[in-house]
Parts: sequence; C-alpha cells; structure tokens
Amino acid sequence: MFVTRRMQRKVVVIAPSASLQDARRLMRGQNVRQLPVTGEDNKLLGIVSDRDIREAMLPVELLSGSSENEREKMLESTPVEKVMTRKVVTATVNDSLEDAITLLHDFRVNSLPVLDDKGCVAGIITRTDVLKAFIEALGVGEISSRLEVVVPDVPGSLVGVMTIIKSFHVNIKSILTTGHTEPGTLAVFFRIATLNVGPIRKAIQEAGYRILDPADFRE
Amino acid sequence: MKNVAYVYHPDHLLHASPFEHPESPDRLNAINKHLEDVGLLKTLMPVTPDYPDNGDILRVHDPDYLRKLELACRRGDLTLDAEDTYLNKNSYLIALLSAAGAIAGADAVATGKAHRAFCAVRPPGHHAERAKGMGFCLLNNASIAVRSLQALHGVSRVMIIDWDVHHGNGTQSIFWEDPSVFFFSIHENPAFLYPGTGRRWETGNGAGEGTTLNAPMAPGAGDDEYRLVCEQLLAPAAERFRPEFLVLSAGFDAHRDDPLADIQLTDEGFHFLSEFAVALANQYCGGKVVSVLEGGYERESLARCTEIHIRELQKN
Repeated sequence: MFVTRRMQRKVVVIAPSASLQDARRLMRGQNVRQLPVTGEDNKLLGIVSDRDIREAMLPVELLSGSSENEREKMLESTPVEKVMTRKVVTATVNDSLEDAITLLHDFRVNSLPVLDDKGCVAGIITRTDVLKAFIEALGVGEISSRLEVVVPDVPGSLVGVMTIIKSFHVNIKSILTTGHTEPGTLAVFFRIATLNVGPIRKAIQEAGYRILDPADFRE
Repeated sequence: MKNVAYVYHPDHLLHASPFEHPESPDRLNAINKHLEDVGLLKTLMPVTPDYPDNGDILRVHDPDYLRKLELACRRGDLTLDAEDTYLNKNSYLIALLSAAGAIAGADAVATGKAHRAFCAVRPPGHHAERAKGMGFCLLNNASIAVRSLQALHGVSRVMIIDWDVHHGNGTQSIFWEDPSVFFFSIHENPAFLYPGTGRRWETGNGAGEGTTLNAPMAPGAGDDEYRLVCEQLLAPAAERFRPEFLVLSAGFDAHRDDPLADIQLTDEGFHFLSEFAVALANQYCGGKVVSVLEGGYERESLARCTEIHIRELQKN
C-alpha cells in the first residue's frame, strides 16, 4: 500500500511570513498539531509544530512580570519562518506505507508531509493515520472472535489451519503472524467471523496444532 | 417471598441447528428438568407467551430485516447471510416467540401479576442489531421488552444489566443514542472474545452519551473481580441514572465450566450477581426485575445457576 492511500489530502498549511499567533489559531481551529510551511506553488519550506511555538514562548514566559499582553505581542510579531524546522522529514507520493511507518518511527516525528515529484505538498500522513490503518488491518472492532495458533515456521504451514477454518464455512477477517517464543514456530492470530469458535479450536488441535490460551500472553 | 413468573413455551425447542451446535434446544430442557427436580418449578407462576404482533418487534427492528429473515427461513437457508448464525424452517417464528416471551415477562411485572419474571427463551437476543442478526441471535429480546415497557406501561427509564460473557453489541447499538435506557455490560475483554466490541471507552453518543457502560474483564477473572465491578462501577451508575425498571440479559456462560470463554465465575458468582441486581431493583425500581435468558452452554452449570438466579428473584 502506498502512503497516498492513507494520507490526508486536505493539508492545512501556513505561509512563512504569517505570525505565530496565526499559526496557533489555525492549529486550534483545525485541530492539528503541526503545519507545513509553504511558499510559492505549494513548495515545502519547513514545518512548525505546537511544540515549536511553546518553546519560542518560553523565554518571554520566564521573564518575571511578563504579562499576557506581552506574550500575545511576542506571538504577533514573530513570523513562523523564525521558529520553523527547515530540515523536514518527508515522504514522497511514491513511498509505501511501510516506508512512512519506518520514517515516523526512526526519526521520531509525528507527521510526514508527502511531496509530489516537484517537491510540492500533496498530503500529510500522521501517526494517527498509521494507527488507524493498523486498527483496520487487525480487524479490531469487527464482529469476530480471536484465535491464536502456533504453527511450524515452514512453507505452507498456514494452509492446514486455513483449510480447517474453511471447512466450517467461516470467514477470516484478518491474519497476523509473529515469531513465537519457541524457535522454529510462528504464532498466528486470526480474527474469524463466528461466535462458535469451540469446534474450530478443537478441530485445529486434533490436527496437531497448538492453540494459545489468553493466559500465555500475560508475560 | 416474591411471586416470580416463569415464561416458557414448548415451541422454543423448534429452533434447532442442522448440525451440532452449542445453542441447542436441550439447553432449555436441561433448565426445565433441573427446576422440576429441585422442586422450584412448581413455586413459580407459569406464563406461556403468545406469538406477538409485528408492531411489538418493529419498535426495535427494521422491517426489511424481518422480511429478509422470514424469507431466509421459508427458503430453507441453513444460516443467516451465509454467516455463523444458523436457521431452520421454524427459526423466524420461534425468534418472534422468544421476543414474545420477553414481552410477556415484562408485561406480567409491569401489570403487577408477578413481582419479577424469568424468561426461559431461545434463540438468545443480545447480539442482534436493529437490522442484522448474528452470534446465534435473531431478534433482540431484551430490547424489545424494554421498548414495550416504555410504549405500553408508561415506564420511562430502564436499566439493562447484561452479564452474558460476550458483549451485548446489539443491545448497545440499539440504545447507543438513547438517554432513557442505560445499558451496562460486563463481559470478557473483546480482544480475546466474540464479538470484539464493548471496550471501556464505548459510552454512548449524542443524547445517549454516558448511558452506556462497559466493563471488559481480563481472561481468568472470577467472582472477586466481578464483585468489585458491581460495587465500584454498576452501583454508582444506577445511583446516577435512577432506573424505574431493571431488565437483565442473563447469560450463564461466564461460568468456569462453560467451554465458550475464559471467565471463571463459580455458582457463588452468579448468586452474587443475582442478589446484587435484586438489591438494585429494590432500591430504585420498587423491586421490578425482568430477567431474560441469553447464553450459557454447559448444561449442568447453566441449569444450576438458573436455579440459583431464580431463587434470588424470589427473595424480598
């Protein structure tokens, strides 16, 4: 999946000459925590976050006797370009969602402006967008039961389990595999569309697989 | 001793699976036989429901869904929407009868013919949404009873306590935006168990914000944990809401002997839950409780805990 599938296309941006007060108002009004700063043709110049603004205000706030008025004045008179981050971590429209997830994680940023081939802002993808993609992929909130099976880590070992599920005419809503604590095995998490998991669980066990109990995940 | 209505109809046995299935007619046979054996049945007021008027059902369900369900049964479909809820030729009628049982129980209590009622009905109801049956449920019996109380008996505020081990997603969705019905559900954490809803932050919406309350329990939780939730979450919620009538979605599948889930309630746990519900009803609802059977699949614990439950309903 490409980032373009999950990014928000309506991006709230701000001009470099705008004041910090404008930026703060825009963030609050649009319920976002960062604004890409764009110049002509929507070219990306930087990014400004609510944290950048808070940090810019710190020196004024620390002055003893600084009034609300003075703080407002400071926000009004400081242009965004003075505090924005100029080296922005970005994704491109050709990046995969996996690229974006890795960038968000490795560079410890909250969002990535997504740039098109000309370097213009085409969208933005945030940690929230990525979490939403995960929630959907995991089938969380879908009417279903969870089933956890340990299979040998060899080609085709999932087929056996899935054939059993199929024989009960039950739909699989999502599958996730991770390494299990025992070497040479995989833990497979299914979300299946039935309340009646008992017989399926039993058939899988009878076929020689191990079913994980919720208690196995305590530690 | 309180006069308790026992709502039952032999036709409830006619909804049966074409294959081996935990939600089967012998659940009710097991309950009936046990109540008879221990001499409890003869102390109850028998109520035999009549097939209901469609209007009673339409207070909750979508007319197109009812037509679809009826057609699927006539056509001989083995499952609803090719999913996991089985059907036979009788299922539509028996689903109506199951809803009628809940209505009859509510009616008996609202009119004062009985102090309390236990409705031994099936198919169960709490997974059924307005326009979709699922999870062995076709019509939402408890919700239909609530709506009939409001429409016919001038009851305005009803609290539903659902202690089936699975979350009552259907009931929750029906009253999601309705401030007149408080839905409380205690169930195994949806990360581990069907249906995957009922997280603790699901609390209703719009005018109904705050009149839904979910208590998901970790696998392995038992009597002590349930007791704590009743005292610390349910009691204050009832105090705030002040219901006039209590409806129970009484499933017995949170029992440690039940094979469908991982909660470890003992007989004593169900004794406590029943006692607690009756105390709430005495405090706020003039003692009025209608209890509607939901799940419970291990025959012996189901029958035993139903007896324990009814004996509590009989107490003052």
